[in-house]
Amino acid sequence: MFQQSQAAATTPAVAETATWQPQIVALICNWCTYAGADSAGTARRSYPASVRAVRVPCTGRVDPLLIVKAFEQGADGVLVSGCHPGDCHYVQGNMVARRRFTVFRALMDFLGLDNRRLHFAWISASEGAKWSRAVDEVTTAVRAAGPLRDWGRTGARRSAVRLPAVPAAPRSAPSADDQRAVGGHLQRLAATLLTEGRVSVVIGYTPGSLPAQMVPAFVTRPEDAPALGWSDRCVNNLSVYLPGAVRQWGKVALVAKRCDVNGVVGLLQESQIARDDVVVIGVACPGVQDDGGLALKCHACGGDAPPHADWTVTPGGAEPGAHPSGASGAVAADPRDALVTYLESLPAEDRWAYWQDQFSSCLRCYACRAVCPLCYCAVCVAEKNRPQWIPVNIEGKANMTWNIARALHLSGRCGGCDECARDCPADVRLDLLNHRLSREIEQRFGYRSGADPAVAPPLATFRPDDPQEFIR
Amino acid sequence: MARIGVFVCHCGENIARTVRVKDVAAAARRIPGVVVSTDYKYLCSAPGQKIITDAVTEHGLTGVVVSACSPQLHEPTFRRASAQAGLNPFQCEMANIREQCSWVHPDPSEATPKATQIVASMVEKVKQSRPLRAFEVPITKRALVIGGGVAGIRTALDIANAGHSVVLVEREPSIGGNMARLSETFPTLDCSQCILTPLTVEVLRHPNIELLTYAEVEAVSGYVGNFRVRITKKPRYVSPDLCTACGDCVAACPVDVPSDFDRSLAWRKAIYIPFPQAVPTTYTLDAGRCLNARHGTASGYRVLACERCADACLRRAIDYDQKPEVVERDVGVIVAATGYQLWDAAQAPEYGYGTHPDIVDGLEFERLLSASGPTGGEVRRPSNGKPAKRVVMIQCVGSRDPRRGVAYCSRVCCMYTAKHALLYKHKVHDGQVVVFYMDIRAAGKGYEEFVNRVMEEERVLYLRGRVSQVIPRDGELLVFGADTLSGQAVQVKADLVVLATAVVPAEDGALARKLRISTDAYGFLQEAHPKLRPVETLTAGVFLAGAAQAPKDIPDTVAQASAAASKALELLSRPVLQREPTVCQVNEAVCNACFDCQRVCPYGAIERKELRNRDGQLVRRVAHVNPAMCEGCGACLVACRPQAIDLAGYSNEQIFGQLEALVPALAGAAV
Repeated sequence: MFQQSQAAATTPAVAETATWQPQIVALICNWCTYAGADSAGTARRSYPASVRAVRVPCTGRVDPLLIVKAFEQGADGVLVSGCHPGDCHYVQGNMVARRRFTVFRALMDFLGLDNRRLHFAWISASEGAKWSRAVDEVTTAVRAAGPLRDWGRTGARRSAVRLPAVPAAPRSAPSADDQRAVGGHLQRLAATLLTEGRVSVVIGYTPGSLPAQMVPAFVTRPEDAPALGWSDRCVNNLSVYLPGAVRQWGKVALVAKRCDVNGVVGLLQESQIARDDVVVIGVACPGVQDDGGLALKCHACGGDAPPHADWTVTPGGAEPGAHPSGASGAVAADPRDALVTYLESLPAEDRWAYWQDQFSSCLRCYACRAVCPLCYCAVCVAEKNRPQWIPVNIEGKANMTWNIARALHLSGRCGGCDECARDCPADVRLDLLNHRLSREIEQRFGYRSGADPAVAPPLATFRPDDPQEFIR
Repeated sequence: MARIGVFVCHCGENIARTVRVKDVAAAARRIPGVVVSTDYKYLCSAPGQKIITDAVTEHGLTGVVVSACSPQLHEPTFRRASAQAGLNPFQCEMANIREQCSWVHPDPSEATPKATQIVASMVEKVKQSRPLRAFEVPITKRALVIGGGVAGIRTALDIANAGHSVVLVEREPSIGGNMARLSETFPTLDCSQCILTPLTVEVLRHPNIELLTYAEVEAVSGYVGNFRVRITKKPRYVSPDLCTACGDCVAACPVDVPSDFDRSLAWRKAIYIPFPQAVPTTYTLDAGRCLNARHGTASGYRVLACERCADACLRRAIDYDQKPEVVERDVGVIVAATGYQLWDAAQAPEYGYGTHPDIVDGLEFERLLSASGPTGGEVRRPSNGKPAKRVVMIQCVGSRDPRRGVAYCSRVCCMYTAKHALLYKHKVHDGQVVVFYMDIRAAGKGYEEFVNRVMEEERVLYLRGRVSQVIPRDGELLVFGADTLSGQAVQVKADLVVLATAVVPAEDGALARKLRISTDAYGFLQEAHPKLRPVETLTAGVFLAGAAQAPKDIPDTVAQASAAASKALELLSRPVLQREPTVCQVNEAVCNACFDCQRVCPYGAIERKELRNRDGQLVRRVAHVNPAMCEGCGACLVACRPQAIDLAGYSNEQIFGQLEALVPALAGAAV
């Protein structure tokens, strides 16, 4: 833009003075708040000249990534405002939006963004007074927060935050005999399914080139079935291969742990596969090893047989149908809860520094995307240009936008397999971001991913009485 | 390359007083792509618009930014002007520097840079604007009118008389609504049925009107010009083609049921017509009250306990096996005229409604006054049938009572109470009437005169004050109240107490949801704009008439009904409909077919489209937006993770342009 260099030169200087005017972007709906802002004008209710309005048809049109874009462009604060619930010109747009804003706000708060910078309101066409009051209050809040200088910081690590140690694994590794038994049952079941022509491919695990390593295997001939195996190193979530395998081979049998089934359910919910396309071979998994210890996701999982399975394999044999007992339940607290809670206990600025460090090390290799069963988009938003949602350069702001977009796009969908975090070469704690948002969605909307393929995803629906205490 | 023209309006002094318009125009000129930037005193005036049209032609502009008042005021004006000069109207945008700048920022050193940035952001938006064309959808030349009260009747007749066909749906067995219950109407004292029944008969006989009584709207799909409505016709168990309305069945029926039409002040039989002049004149067997209801299923009547009506009917019109019938009708417009009911006065226990038969509400008193009512028009006490010599009328029961009832004024009660008093005095010359009121609201042609006449000539005692309690004692009613003008507590003995209860919507909101229109806090159907679009709704093609929108008297109801009809005719008279082109579109190459868009679309505008190869084999499915149903809210595109959907007129590129221009410019906009 033509005034950009000037802007960069003047901002820090005036920021120190009391007259510093924060830069606030207001995304407001055409029917209620835009008209409300007009009526504030008609009534000559003056308010600070800090807010720049962008008129959109509905708050339902406000993609949280537009809010991110505003911050990325240099806004110090953002206000989103629309019609009161029940008054939406488009019946329900604001109520669908309310859920998205709930999740976005939870994410930004977890990232440590000063919550004085992000505001939501319902302001009707007749509430000119409320509009001018809201601008007043938002301006005061953003002014108190000061200029936002470190959105997407690049450079040396600054955070002293160290995550607490994870408690010891609540149980010992399964016996080698049991693992061999499961492997044998899988081989026989795979051979049967392939011989009888019930599936064209079985996706399972086979020993890799490193000691004890297990890697994905695609078995298409019954005679190859003995290659399949099972151990507590079967860590990959194989459901990531499902849509492609269905396209290539038709009917697919998938060896799935309880956490992997969440991915299958997500794919069913979003019409990426049909239920008839897949034979789910559920394995009662006592936990997998990651990084030399029990994977974090396994602490709270009792190793129950997966739901929605067509076959259930235990050391005792392979049985048709799903047989989750539900009895094994949680055997220990989920350590991800403790880590999330620890981060939340820190002052926001410490969290902010922590995540800025995390994101600044992101290489944008998109391994997280490649291993995620629900990152199936043929064209990812990261590759979209015209407009370019996510800057392609590997630098602070762009990394920030990408990581926010990734977390938001998986919110309400992530099944918690933690493959993204396991495969991240920069060790960005994507698992904690996902876990935090899943927790928000469960607490707020009573929704757990992977439970029921017939249920609408939580962010594609709403309840009129969804909580909205954060909306003024 | 974009060639943008910026035009900054002074709006007299409204903008120029606090925004240095010349500086704004000068700053805009420095924006890349702006080829002309100028200011003028009144751009909305004819010479002002000429400046714009001339510039479009002279400079070959690809975009226009009018920096003036709110787009809600003059966007159509300037888009029209741009179009006259050959520019696509959607390549003209307004920068609102009046309502959201000059009027709220008195300091020119604040208002001027803000105005500059608003202009800059709209320039960036216009750079990304694409020419859009309104598209045409066909229109079904038939109207659906829901509700057969006087509002629905008037609307249906107006549309039918203009030559279009009308489907009139009424859920009761006969049309006429509440007006058919009234005795005489204020302020002229016309007999209500005498002015209504000619209309009901006209509806029945009109070649353009299909009358579906005892029927309810089940579902509405489609969109303006192309609605499809599913209507269930409840079984009457009487064939309308055979029934001659002789009434022999009624004489034979052994079951007595309180008459809804007479507000339970009289009895009817299980087989009945609501009132002798009812339209249509087909009898209805009340399945819930018929002796056969207890035997076999409601639809079945497999074991008949009683066949007396069928035996009595010489025409064999009774059909115990009739089933609900579902019919579908394609219509272009819909008018909702679902009317009102009275608030249940039992919610105000001090008035004793429901505890004593001589405490009645307004509609019950109408039946007592009516010549066709249970007493033949003599005002007798429901408890013992003796003449009522002393009557107390209490206004504002439930109305203007936000604590228990409703906050609004029901508008008709002052007038009908005065009418009640007058009609009563004309019938019972030695009778005494006391009216307790809060204020007299008699705004209307001839209304104030009417109330004065009742007070002065008819010697009705009006006491300004509330009633604290009505207590039945020794066969009479003791009314305890206050006369606030004399400051005294009063106690009145009465034979009959008439409560002017609040008017509330007859519908519970289910129909509004089917029609995808909104309701207000009280459940009245919500108009699109209280002043400028009082009979339209925010759903295109759906209109409102009568007390379903707010309490109204008959003249206002009829006026609104005709207004709704004329709005409906405005659509029906067009050969095709023009739709706004600001709708969503799916990029099929990017769509993943997750159909979250379909889940969030409130209009059902998103379909699953099958892409097939040249051999006709299904390749994959994608989402498809039906542009005729899309209202352009943009909810779907936010649900779309790969951003396969975009919204014309508010596209992502346009909003990005705005954001990118807004923020960096903010701090450095020293003009």
